[in-house]
Amino acid sequence: MTTPQDIEHLIARVALGERAAFDALYAATSAKLFGICLRVLGNRAEAEDALQEVYVKIWNKADRYQINGFSPMTWLITLSRNHAIDRLRARRDRGAGMDEAAEIPDAAPGPEDLAIASDEAGRVAACMKELPPDRAEAVRRAYLEGETYQELADRYAQPLNTIRTWLRRSLLKLRECLST
Amino acid sequence: MTQPFDMEEGRILAAEYALGLLDDAQARAFEEAMSTNPDLRDEYADWATAFSAVTDGIAPVVPPVSAKTAIDTVLFGKPRSLWQRIGVMPALLGAAAAALLLFAVVNLGLLAPAPGPTYTADIAAEDHSLVVTASFDDTSRTLRINRAAGAARDGRVLELWLIAGDNAPVSLGVLPDAATGDIIVPADLVAALDGGVLAISDEPLGGSPTGAPTGDVLAVGPITAL
Repeated sequence: MTTPQDIEHLIARVALGERAAFDALYAATSAKLFGICLRVLGNRAEAEDALQEVYVKIWNKADRYQINGFSPMTWLITLSRNHAIDRLRARRDRGAGMDEAAEIPDAAPGPEDLAIASDEAGRVAACMKELPPDRAEAVRRAYLEGETYQELADRYAQPLNTIRTWLRRSLLKLRECLST
Repeated sequence: MTQPFDMEEGRILAAEYALGLLDDAQARAFEEAMSTNPDLRDEYADWATAFSAVTDGIAPVVPPVSAKTAIDTVLFGKPRSLWQRIGVMPALLGAAAAALLLFAVVNLGLLAPAPGPTYTADIAAEDHSLVVTASFDDTSRTLRINRAAGAARDGRVLELWLIAGDNAPVSLGVLPDAATGDIIVPADLVAALDGGVLAISDEPLGGSPTGAPTGDVLAVGPITAL
């Protein structure tokens, strides 16, 4: 079992250019990060490309990890999620063909997204449940599907400003719940 | 978005930033605000932590082995890319000619067969700005290095690599400052000398920090059995 301290230590050694530490970090975290890339991109070949780019970034940015105040797994997850979302958005902007679209997983809220696997996840899941379901769904869509305000407005058939206002209000409620 | 905002607005912006809901200009403005405001940075870190917990329910999937190989190739290079980087064919042809000449010399009895080096390599840059010969003595597992031309740049060193087949380069150590010197080859690498290639790269003091060549590959030469 690799602890957050272990991961942190490995990242610090990767920052010094230690290849053995990079291999160990990859062994400890690649399944988690590949799962995220796969979930966001819904396409194995593209998720593999994304994973490769993510680890190249990890190697190149490890020396800047210490200063951002993230826990090690939050840093790795955020980097992976953001990279996968960037790719997903680029694909959308190009206009995905139907074949590709068919590979995007069903976006309905799945049980996996609500599963409780840690205290933090439990707390977040509990606070998300306090939001009206469609707003929790919109937050989740923004995070895992990379949907923009415009896409959410189209999806919920609401004016952009209405969507923005209710989502911002929901985020504030979520924040209050999380800080209690 | 350049005007200052209160903390409540800052909290929402941090969440929108973490979700990627801000447009480019808004995101840049928020990053700029974060760079001078530790509270905003903490706020963003809190949101990133909260949202990353959403991924706890996503099942881990072991990536294929080829993914790691591809990453290593991008970051550390592979023998194939080394060869491409220095255009190895001229060196190989030159070495083949040298080997042929050596073969002729030995077989014509011009050189008495005697115990001595069992392998040799001419490691030369294409423009001959760096020329190093290496001869391996089996009994002492020593590579006798003779640097005939060229030297490390100021504040840098030359590092010697052994490349066996498609394997990643293995460091044999940093070349001595003096023009001649010995490098002991680890016992488990001796077998890899046969049919292998020696290469020299430009590295920071103390040698490559990664275990793979990080600087330019300056010279290369195939190992010839005697």
